[in-house]
Amino acid sequence: MSRVSYYESEGPWSNYEKRLLCMDTGSWRTQRPIVDEEKCIYCGNCALYCPVQIMVDMKTYFSPNLDFCKGCGVCARECPKKAITMEPEDKFK
Amino acid sequence: MSINPTDKVQVKVITGNAAAAIAVTLCRPDVIAAYPITPQSEIIERLSEFHSQGIVDAEMINVEGENSAMNAVTAASIAGGRVFTASSSWGLAFMYDAVLAAAGTRAPVVMVNVNREPPGIMAVSSGQQDMISTRDAGWIYLVAEDSQEILDMVIMAYRLAEDYEIQLPVMVHYDGFYLSFMAERVEIPTERSVDDYLSVLKEQPQRPTLIPGKPLGVVTHGLLEGYIELRHKHCTALERAKQKFDSITVDFNQQFDRSYAGQVETYRSDDADVVLVGCGSMCGTIKSVIDQKRKEGIKIGLVRLRMYRPFPAEKLTEVLKGKKVIGVVDRSLCFGFKGGPIYTEIRSLYPELGGARMLSFIDGLANMDITTAHIEQIIDTCLSASNGASCNDVTWVCYEG
Repeated sequence: MSRVSYYESEGPWSNYEKRLLCMDTGSWRTQRPIVDEEKCIYCGNCALYCPVQIMVDMKTYFSPNLDFCKGCGVCARECPKKAITMEPEDKFK
Repeated sequence: MSINPTDKVQVKVITGNAAAAIAVTLCRPDVIAAYPITPQSEIIERLSEFHSQGIVDAEMINVEGENSAMNAVTAASIAGGRVFTASSSWGLAFMYDAVLAAAGTRAPVVMVNVNREPPGIMAVSSGQQDMISTRDAGWIYLVAEDSQEILDMVIMAYRLAEDYEIQLPVMVHYDGFYLSFMAERVEIPTERSVDDYLSVLKEQPQRPTLIPGKPLGVVTHGLLEGYIELRHKHCTALERAKQKFDSITVDFNQQFDRSYAGQVETYRSDDADVVLVGCGSMCGTIKSVIDQKRKEGIKIGLVRLRMYRPFPAEKLTEVLKGKKVIGVVDRSLCFGFKGGPIYTEIRSLYPELGGARMLSFIDGLANMDITTAHIEQIIDTCLSASNGASCNDVTWVCYEG
């Protein structure tokens, strides 16, 4: 059998400049955070609390990177302005 | 300030814990994170003292528990630092997931574990069960016999862990209460000689390091074939570590004028029909009993494991092949499997060893001394087995007599 090689190095490390190996955590999501850019006060709470650190700094508000967002809802819970709502993922299919 | 500012080897009477702390200091670590626990605390106390005096130029992280300690040093190691932590027993148990992660991320963490009986029965006492309980974590395990070897083995541990061909965490074990607190003569090498010994690492390719602004995927993916690939690489590196340990020991002996064996030490076992196998401080007692028995004309010897993981199967086969009786003394248990842990592993070499009679002796649990009388009794049992007498495979020396 031929061996598939994912890693150039010894350990479970991957270089972002070549190919960053990450789990497809976005596929786990059953609900999606929707950010109301008008309500967002750019406090950064969502980015700090996000366990997978996917909140992207858009300079006036934060927006989730849906490739990796697992849909846990911590951001919506922590938002002091309730600017983030969790919507069922089915709606976007 | 320096731990040994002179150009000469210093001789001091110090405890095993002090020897460990001095060895770490000589290796110039970048990050130290640890939580105190008996019988390890003195290492951390000494390092804190050296740190406050400016002798250790490292980041000392006071953590809230052992789990954090191991995670902190693993992360620092991935960021390229030389790191150190130490624990024992309950502390080792509390950091178990982080111990697995250090091995999985291939972080060359160097740690000292001062052997003590683990959680289960409250016993603040010596025993190697904590080491046995974590033996499958994927680390390299070394076991020291005396204070001098503790100091030397910690220095060798850095050379082994950080070697580009290895890149695995190394745990140096020694018997708590016996070696940790007992003061004996220790030679402290000069800083320059230790720098020289470790300088080989600087000539090697740089391992991947996590640098701010340059993201590195670390344990972010390991599904299916990727997982198998990493495990295969890990096991192959462990196999490489056996030879590597032998060769860095040769280098060490040259640099510091010592005479250590590599993975396995043999003591008067070449012409012996009956050989005992053990590791740690008990071996000093065994050696003195062997000397006595040799005077009486009884040909017995000892094989001591200096490396426990990876298991030095090839070396053990080499030195134990053709022996009539092999008596393995374990300071720990193998729950649900008859015999001590090292015994059961030596028994796995039964076909290679040509059918030796193998006997298991469990002794020294919970600080029960492995006395010369115990060793004599063990040797007598082995000798009668070699004369064809029937005897039990497993003997709990303190309990069954």
